[in-house]
Amino acid sequence: MISSMVHWVRRIVADFDATHREKATALTVMEMEELENIFALLLLGSFAGFPSPPTFLAVELLPYMERELQILCKRAKDCNDMLAEMCGTIGID
Amino acid sequence: MKILFFTGKGGVGKSTMSAASAWQLSQNHRVLIVSLDPAHNLGDVFGVVLNHKKQRFTDSLYLKEVNLQKLCREYLQREIRVFTDTYRYLQTINLDSYFSVLKYSPGIEEYALLTSIEETVRSEKDIDYIVFDTPPTGLTLRFLALPWITMTWIDRLMQIRRDILEKRHTIYRIRGILDDKETILSYDENDDDILKRLKTLNGNYQALSSILQGNDCGIVLVYNPDTLSLKESKRLIDGLRELKLPLRLLINNKIQKKYTAMADHVDSVIKSLAPAVPIQRVAFSEHLLDGQNSTLYDIEETILSPFEMK
Repeated sequence: MISSMVHWVRRIVADFDATHREKATALTVMEMEELENIFALLLLGSFAGFPSPPTFLAVELLPYMERELQILCKRAKDCNDMLAEMCGTIGID
Repeated sequence: MKILFFTGKGGVGKSTMSAASAWQLSQNHRVLIVSLDPAHNLGDVFGVVLNHKKQRFTDSLYLKEVNLQKLCREYLQREIRVFTDTYRYLQTINLDSYFSVLKYSPGIEEYALLTSIEETVRSEKDIDYIVFDTPPTGLTLRFLALPWITMTWIDRLMQIRRDILEKRHTIYRIRGILDDKETILSYDENDDDILKRLKTLNGNYQALSSILQGNDCGIVLVYNPDTLSLKESKRLIDGLRELKLPLRLLINNKIQKKYTAMADHVDSVIKSLAPAVPIQRVAFSEHLLDGQNSTLYDIEETILSPFEMK
């Protein structure tokens, strides 16, 4: 009984800790994803009509860009409601 | 090793002048002449059939025509291989072949040319002089500008990448790993594939640009005594100055006695644009007209006499 209580308390503390850690890094995560989005946009800008770097540079890095491309697509999908997204991250209801 | 690039408008005699220079240099040095022009005529000048490989002409003179299409194909094959390795799972449903569309990427030609120069300079250690016969002005300026354009982009991209890794590190330190199944994003410079690739590319381009701007490299501008050639030469001189590439010699080619006044005028204009660069005059060769003489590379003037590469 006591051991299950201890286990239960431990889980609450761990979840509490994880939530706070998540919250503390939310803004940095968003900044990081934005940077990754910018990186992909700069490199593959021709998709969106931007001037692009020499083609072979994009070709050279493309095989390693899976994550960045996913973020680029996600941002393109969410771009109509970026304000709501930012408010959510900052914690404004 | 000294490197010479012969540039100029199409048809001014770049191939003949570069071939003649290579021939004259080969009397005392080991020389390799490489044609980068997609419309090759180096083999015609020397009266031999050349392929993509280096060919011996004399004991001290080697000839090579670069097959641009083959180079592009080889480069893209390498890239497509990386793609198919990364997306190996697509092989199971036979979709990997769709990456072959990459071979239609624009701008690959300039890159292939530059890679060919870099490989030649790197591999030919026992050669004293490498003479490059380049394509006409537009393409030449584009591929010579490529290292600087690319390095500017690489520099900016590396900066952003470092910022991303720094943020990833901060997040990792605060947040840690919350779930066993979570993928840890690389935050160390040595673990990030993109930054590693950018660093390698940057190193290659820095080495190449220091070769191109160095004392052992020289650009030779060939022109004719006519207005069109003069105008294009002006653009080329401006372009080379912008790229900080060393123009070492000017060759006024195909001068005929009846047009000496025009040749003088063209020389005076060119001289005002590049006062420190010596001018060599080469007379119009009658051999070009009769088509009988196969030794087109053996001309009377000593082409590289006005300048000596220190």
